[in-house]
Amino acid sequence: MKLTVDGASCMGHGRCYQVAPDLLTFDDEGYVTIRDETIDVSADLLEAAEDAAGTCPEQAIALIAD
Amino acid sequence: MTETTSAEPVGRELGGCPVMHRDFSGSQAAGCHWQLAEELREASPLYFNTFAQGYWVFTRYDAVRDMYKNPEIFSSESITPWQPDPIYRFVPTQIDPPDHIQYRRILNPWFSPRAIDDAEARMRGLCRRLVEEVAPTGGCDFVGEFALRFPTEAFLSVIGIDPADADLFVPWVEDFFSGFGGDPAGLERMTEALAGIREYWVAALAARRGEPEPRPGDLASHLLHSTYDDRPLTDAEMLDMLTVLVLAGLDTTRAELGYMFEHLATHPEHRQMLIDQPELIPSAVEEVLRFYTIVFGDGRKVTRDIEFHGASLKKGDMVYGLVSGANRDPRAYERAGEFVIDRKRNHHMGFANGPHRCLGAHLARREMALAVQEWLRVIPDFHVAGDVDLVERGGGSMMTLMRLPLAWEVTP
Repeated sequence: MKLTVDGASCMGHGRCYQVAPDLLTFDDEGYVTIRDETIDVSADLLEAAEDAAGTCPEQAIALIAD
Repeated sequence: MTETTSAEPVGRELGGCPVMHRDFSGSQAAGCHWQLAEELREASPLYFNTFAQGYWVFTRYDAVRDMYKNPEIFSSESITPWQPDPIYRFVPTQIDPPDHIQYRRILNPWFSPRAIDDAEARMRGLCRRLVEEVAPTGGCDFVGEFALRFPTEAFLSVIGIDPADADLFVPWVEDFFSGFGGDPAGLERMTEALAGIREYWVAALAARRGEPEPRPGDLASHLLHSTYDDRPLTDAEMLDMLTVLVLAGLDTTRAELGYMFEHLATHPEHRQMLIDQPELIPSAVEEVLRFYTIVFGDGRKVTRDIEFHGASLKKGDMVYGLVSGANRDPRAYERAGEFVIDRKRNHHMGFANGPHRCLGAHLARREMALAVQEWLRVIPDFHVAGDVDLVERGGGSMMTLMRLPLAWEVTP
């Protein structure tokens, strides 16, 4: 599983790194650091990734099956 | 709230959508605004309200979200649909993209999670002192003695202003919101309050002007050294920014704290869960923001003719997204009408959506979490005192409990 963040949609709500702190973190302005990037999600963080995607009020996070 | 359902023509084609005539500015019994929002949402996704010059009302999650996410169609030039040309100008609240982000970049670091982490120990100290002051008394008006004071002092400390100046700001903010909601009787107080806040910041900027370096942790000083497109900010820009921060930072968290503690006072099982499992506090805070959304609705001005969720909008029309109804929309949430303390995937719009996402969101949720932690540590068991009918301010501004008398046993 991979996770990607649409940088134009991310508004810095901060919900994703709150519910998935082992996967995501924030920059100096409060945006998630991996905007417009794609990261691998290890098996133990699958649920956290799904929580992050489902929590984003902007629907900026997409999960991509391997 | 007055209502007349009317079949009278409103001078334009509405495509058969229901027409209402409602003033949302009046105070109501606590909880009535959410009840109304739910009734409106389930009866129709769209209304035309003939109040003031007339405006569209969108009641469901999808339409409100799409309003927020399309600022090129829905301008923030006015955010109060009954007042398309307001007497104030909030920066960056009423600035549209692409200029908006330039102002946000100046302010974002001051309210980022990192900044709030840095301020947490100081805020916890302010909170603890207030809780320990009221604890031995066995009761208080939670709104007046805690919910107004804690966020005000915490916010002022975050922007580098002496928390003692809370005594000046609190009445100004009260007076401002008496007019913001659309009540004509409040307009004069609103105007005077704006003048008072402005004078305060004019003096604060004057005291800091000409200093070679920005004062550490002092937002007004930082603005004097900030640039927009490589030019210094104008005095008007700095005053508009500082003014809206005060109005937004002092009134809103007070309102959410009031509803959160009313909920905890009336739901001992939830109180106990947060004592036993403090790791649930963040999700409880988010559920308060969803279930007790204080923004009844949010306004925007239409920039061009367009078909949108069943409405034929014309340039210059005002629209009102009923956020309070959207956040309880069963089309968007499971168990939408229930307070689910450990709710997951809670994508609520309590802090708005799109580019105008609340600047102070990280600060507000931290203040709410600190308030729960510190209060429950000292006062784990409390209830609403006496047989009172709680009243909330009208939905034209943000809803807020005017008073919340709480009582608890004092152990010697």
